[in-house]
Amino acid sequence: MTLAIEMQNLHKRFGDLHAVQGVSLTVQAGEILSLLGPNGAGKSTIISMLSGLLQPTEGDALVMGHSIRREPEAAKACLGVVPQDIALYPDLSARENLLFWGKMYGLRGAALKKRVDEVLEIIGLVDRQKGRVDKFSGGMKRRVNIAAALLHKPQVVIMDEPTVGIDPQSRRHILDNVKELNRQGMTVLYTTHYMEEAAELSDHIAIMDHGRVIAYGTHDELIRLVGEQTRIDLTLNVDAGRVLTAWQQVEGVSRASAQDGLVTVLVDDSNRVLPRLFEAATAAGARITGVDIREPNLEAVFLHLTGRALRD
Amino acid sequence: MRILDLAFKDLSQVLRDKMSLLFLIVMPVVFTFFMGLAFSGATRPTDPRLALGWANADGESRFSQQLYADLEASGSVRWVEVDPAEAEAAVRQGQVAGALVIPAGFGQAVFSPAPLQLTLIADQASTAGQSLYQIVQAAVARMFSAVEIARLDVTMLDAQNVLPDEAARAEERQAALEAALAEWTQTDRQRAWVRVESAVAQTDNGVPLGGNPFNQSSPGMLVQFAISGMIGAAGIVVQERKTRTLQRLITTAMKPWQIIAGHWLAMVTLVLGQTLLLVLFGQLVLDVNYFREPLGVLLVAVAFSLWIASMGLFIGVLAQGQEQVILFCLIAMFLFTSLGGAWFPLEVTGQVFSLIGHLTPGAWAMDGFQNILVRGLGLASVWQPVGVLVAYALLFFALAVWRFRVREA
Ligand SMILES: Nc1ncnc2c1ncn2[C@@H]1O[C@H](COP(=O)(O)OP(=O)(O)OP(=O)(O)O)[C@@H](O)[C@H]1O
Ligand SMILES: [Mg+2]
Repeated sequence: MTLAIEMQNLHKRFGDLHAVQGVSLTVQAGEILSLLGPNGAGKSTIISMLSGLLQPTEGDALVMGHSIRREPEAAKACLGVVPQDIALYPDLSARENLLFWGKMYGLRGAALKKRVDEVLEIIGLVDRQKGRVDKFSGGMKRRVNIAAALLHKPQVVIMDEPTVGIDPQSRRHILDNVKELNRQGMTVLYTTHYMEEAAELSDHIAIMDHGRVIAYGTHDELIRLVGEQTRIDLTLNVDAGRVLTAWQQVEGVSRASAQDGLVTVLVDDSNRVLPRLFEAATAAGARITGVDIREPNLEAVFLHLTGRALRD
Repeated sequence: MRILDLAFKDLSQVLRDKMSLLFLIVMPVVFTFFMGLAFSGATRPTDPRLALGWANADGESRFSQQLYADLEASGSVRWVEVDPAEAEAAVRQGQVAGALVIPAGFGQAVFSPAPLQLTLIADQASTAGQSLYQIVQAAVARMFSAVEIARLDVTMLDAQNVLPDEAARAEERQAALEAALAEWTQTDRQRAWVRVESAVAQTDNGVPLGGNPFNQSSPGMLVQFAISGMIGAAGIVVQERKTRTLQRLITTAMKPWQIIAGHWLAMVTLVLGQTLLLVLFGQLVLDVNYFREPLGVLLVAVAFSLWIASMGLFIGVLAQGQEQVILFCLIAMFLFTSLGGAWFPLEVTGQVFSLIGHLTPGAWAMDGFQNILVRGLGLASVWQPVGVLVAYALLFFALAVWRFRVREA
């Protein structure tokens, strides 16, 4: 399998601050890799180095085989970068912005116009293309911000928190765009601090904290990595003591405990175990009045690894 | 190619803003007119003669009439009748530049051993007062020399006992006086003592405008508004940094030098376009003769545009925000226009001021244009100003690149 991006021991120091501390990640061609991490983890710094805005203090990276140090122009030509901040000319219309950025990527004439039309179609702003960008909503600006990085049909798209601060509808639109682009063969390096996005989109996820990758793998691998099981919280119409022993015997239950009238059961597979819990309760003459299933998630993984919540 | 695309984008951003059109074209045109009128007001007074109060308490005596006519004929004074009692007040209030008081009995006493004195009320510290003194003095001296001639004539004839009685003496004296006065008037006309013309006022003002006051205001306002015209274009460079489109440009494989070149090209185009439009306006509407030496004017315009664009670029990479762009452009404008002789020619200032002024490129731009418009020099005269302007362009360009690098790092 070919590598779209290969980071080789990347370091970045800002004076005393060691913002990126030896990151060696690879992005396979055709996959979506998410960098998940809290504010200040170093995600944007990595992206700035990959896109040629910052020189690594140490290490190198290859984009489609081109070193960002030795062949920055060739590396940049393979990349489309969606910056974290909206980088558009506010006094130009969406279309004018896209035409300009297309030219900066070397597109001309009819091919440029056609591609701008296509990209406007993708982001769903054909109707509003004539409007000035500074009159757009946050979500619309974000979409144009993404479109500008797609004009030259790059092999690799890097998106830095493209859904920050926008309405759910625009966000849905963007996530669907990312999946569709990936389906068409674009490799995506996606950064976010929303674990739901990382979980939904990614083939692989790298969890970052304080400039380091603290965990890497598929979504399931990461969750298994920390051995998290599905937690089921149940409430009963009778004293918990009456069913607790019975539930501890049910196949697939690794632990069951009761506190303040709430029974917490840890299971491997809630679909298989839950019916058995109901059976056992009925047998013991108890009625279950409330069920709350908590699938293991990346939030829990982060909490487990760092002792801190992903979102402060 | 991408450099041109970037420059074109800048230009379309500047030109779609109605405010910048105001700064680039409307304001300079209005101010060229305005400043031109200010200069023509100073150089072409409606009546160049000094107003002199006629405070006559002597009635219609022969001598007061003679003085009145004589001074009027000098062409330097314009009589204004004033009450002798209010003559001083009239001078104080500036209604007249001075007042000549003829005391009662002046004419009667002329031939007496103790003639009465005339009084000129004027501010001796002012040039007008001094001129009046000299003009009046000359007229009075002539009159009294005629009186003296008549007296001598009578004395001589008396010595020969030709005049029988007092009446004959008076008659002879009167005849001699009239003859002498007539002779004065005659020589005055024929030998042209001093003719005072309104041209005096122009040299007085010292503005070497070659006859057309717009010869100063047209290039002057052109220089001034080219500098303030950079506000829009420099603002785009700042906007690009603020909106992070600069970063995006770098990720598109635009090299930093290409970005600089694109913005600079847009600025050069903008200033050169503005300059040439204003030159055309000056030539066609205001009769400022730029076409006397078209190649020289074009060379100065190009060198000037290179300087202004480089300075605009420097301001763009230096300023933190739009307010600073405006501030820096206005500072540059005031500095280079006032010192550079865009508002008034450096010739009318002292030598030191002119020397300091020529440390600024503004003065050289003005020199380049004025060598052709006012001094009537040829193409060779523009090489030095063009050289200095290009040197300043290089200096500002280097500063801009240096500052851009520092920001980038
Ligand atoms: N140009 C810079 N100069 C100095 N420090 C910087 C610079 N850029 C980033 N940093 C610091 O480096 C660290 C990593 O920042 P970075 O922007 O990469 O984080 P991030 O993971 O993208 O965070 P966020 O989710 O808030 O965007 C932070 O502590 C930040 O303050
Ligand atoms: Mg970031």
